Amino acid sequence: MATANAGPGRGYPVNAWYVLARSDEVGGRPLGRRVADTPVVAYRTAGGTAVALEDRCAHRPYPLSLGRVAGDTIVSGYTGFVYGPDGVCVSVPTQDRVPHGARVRAFPVHDDGTFVRVWTGDPALAARRVPPRTPWLRDAGWATVGDRLDTAANVVLLHENFADITHVAVVDPFIAPPALHGPPPPLEVALSETSVSFSRQYAPAPLADWHAAALGLPADARHPQRETGAFVAPGLWVNTWEVQVAGVEPVPTFRFTHAITPVDAGHTAHEWRVSRNFALDAATDATLAPIFAEYYRRVRGVLETMQAVVDRDGPRREVAVAADAAVLAVRRLLAQEPAGENGTRRRRTAARA
Amino acid sequence: MTTAAGTATTRTATIVREVEADLVVRDVRPVADGVVAVELADPAGAPLPAWTPGAHVDLVLRTDAGEELVRQYSLCGDPADDSRWRLGVLLAADGRGGSAAVHALRPGATVRTRGPRNHFPLVASPRYLFVAGGIGITPLLPMVAEADATGADWTLLYGGRSRASMAFADELARHGDRVTLAPQDETGLPDLAALLADPRPDTLVYCCGPEGLLAAVEELCTAWPPGALHLERFSARPQEPAAGADAEFELVLQRSGLTLTVPADRTVFEVVEDAGVSVLGSCLEGVCGTCETEVVDGDVDHRDSVLNADERAANEFMMICVSRCRSGRLTLDL
Repeated sequence: MATANAGPGRGYPVNAWYVLARSDEVGGRPLGRRVADTPVVAYRTAGGTAVALEDRCAHRPYPLSLGRVAGDTIVSGYTGFVYGPDGVCVSVPTQDRVPHGARVRAFPVHDDGTFVRVWTGDPALAARRVPPRTPWLRDAGWATVGDRLDTAANVVLLHENFADITHVAVVDPFIAPPALHGPPPPLEVALSETSVSFSRQYAPAPLADWHAAALGLPADARHPQRETGAFVAPGLWVNTWEVQVAGVEPVPTFRFTHAITPVDAGHTAHEWRVSRNFALDAATDATLAPIFAEYYRRVRGVLETMQAVVDRDGPRREVAVAADAAVLAVRRLLAQEPAGENGTRRRRTAARA
Repeated sequence: MTTAAGTATTRTATIVREVEADLVVRDVRPVADGVVAVELADPAGAPLPAWTPGAHVDLVLRTDAGEELVRQYSLCGDPADDSRWRLGVLLAADGRGGSAAVHALRPGATVRTRGPRNHFPLVASPRYLFVAGGIGITPLLPMVAEADATGADWTLLYGGRSRASMAFADELARHGDRVTLAPQDETGLPDLAALLADPRPDTLVYCCGPEGLLAAVEELCTAWPPGALHLERFSARPQEPAAGADAEFELVLQRSGLTLTVPADRTVFEVVEDAGVSVLGSCLEGVCGTCETEVVDGDVDHRDSVLNADERAANEFMMICVSRCRSGRLTLDL
């Protein structure tokens, strides 16, 4: 298994809410995606409700996503089998009687207007686990740019990336806050049963030119800055960068939302959003979008390169540094799969190749 | 003193702790003789951290005498409701005042919480036997709800001194004959031997309650497959030993064939490195996990921030940069 550093196993829990698509991508045409190594087709019923079914006709191995939506149902583009929103086959073209038990899996779906999330694990558990929330992505007080990147890397490599951004200065010197040059200030990590968060408070430091310009600050301005990050759920990271300008409320903040969805052991869908609570105009969108798009493309390149190394030469015990405290905590959460999976909690196997 | 000073320095470099929050008491209501159900919420209405059945939180309490006490209470509400946490707390007559401080809480009061954490997770299984004694019902309530929701086959034996002392029995009534209530003053002690007479590979046993019940269930489950029994003891978390109490011990490196001495003022890592044995180390403060080493034998005094309680108890691995040994000899796979 190509699971980077998570040791044996796929590196992600299946009993979790994962982003399937943007809400506006799910409509009257079937959308085929893969989530947690499961083929999923999504569409909207005539009434506007998002539906997610297994993307494989029960009669022949043909994806339903290559068929069409008809009212509340989806019709196979090859067999003509028709399925309702609950996955039950309601008609077949060749006989009056619907074959007994003909159905495909229907997955629990949560649509918050930004993302359609899907649960491909035990459906009974879905109602007992709260889907992660990202209300700022729909809040008029925030402006957001973002995109989707399909990444040929295991999801654990993405988690490790968002748990420690000290590499930014190396990967993309243009975008990096100058505060990241040199030894970082103390790292504070806070754990709960299901989450890991971290923060660092930086002494007054200059800003990258593009950052100062977006904030309307002089290029040589120096302000205290604060970095936070949170593994909210297996499919969601929320990181922030605050510039603490005296007298300015709310604190000018970039909020980075990473909806990450394991496609399979070697692929991950990454929906990135960069939101800000200052300079909400479209011109700033147009300035910032390409800067962050370039950064996340570079990150994807690094992640895919690391995955290729692991695929070729296998995982290896790695040297960790104190700055990895959050990374290690996240690895532990992922290795310790929650109840409802695999029959037992496994001990951490990180870096034990 | 070297060790203590080193620890103090490094603690400022990286701090790993649990999530803390000051929550507001929304409700305190009696639910049985001596038991209150307490509901906590974020004062601003923010969602609370997610948890799964079996989880507990710390409450940081203050006694009448002003003493700070930290007490653990299981979450016994609905994990899907992240607007509030529910705890069930028995007034302990002979305690140090932690439960009395909880019983004295009133709506509007603020309580500091830590966690949640979970040392008693519900593992997926087609069949469960739940056994609760008294206030030990609290972690089992969300487990029962989850087992029921997932379609597992389950039963609960819930014992108590008397019907009036048994909290949340009313909520369990909807499960019909899956639940057996055993008030001791009506039915005597429950027949645990009969309940556990038939070890089954498809069944997990979850038990929480007083020490006598746990010991009896533990004894009866020796015939069950390893890993079938899951217990939770309600006991205080072990305290960190005071700095300066470190003692010298013997260190055996099994693969290297070396026997060394770790003086009171040196770490295992330093002694191993000085002996010329190659070991990985990085943060040297018990944070990064790089120096994790397999333990062959010895009673390890874990002082790192890497291992959880289960892993510490398993005594299979240690962080040799900070952790020590309580017994006279420590044997490592080095």
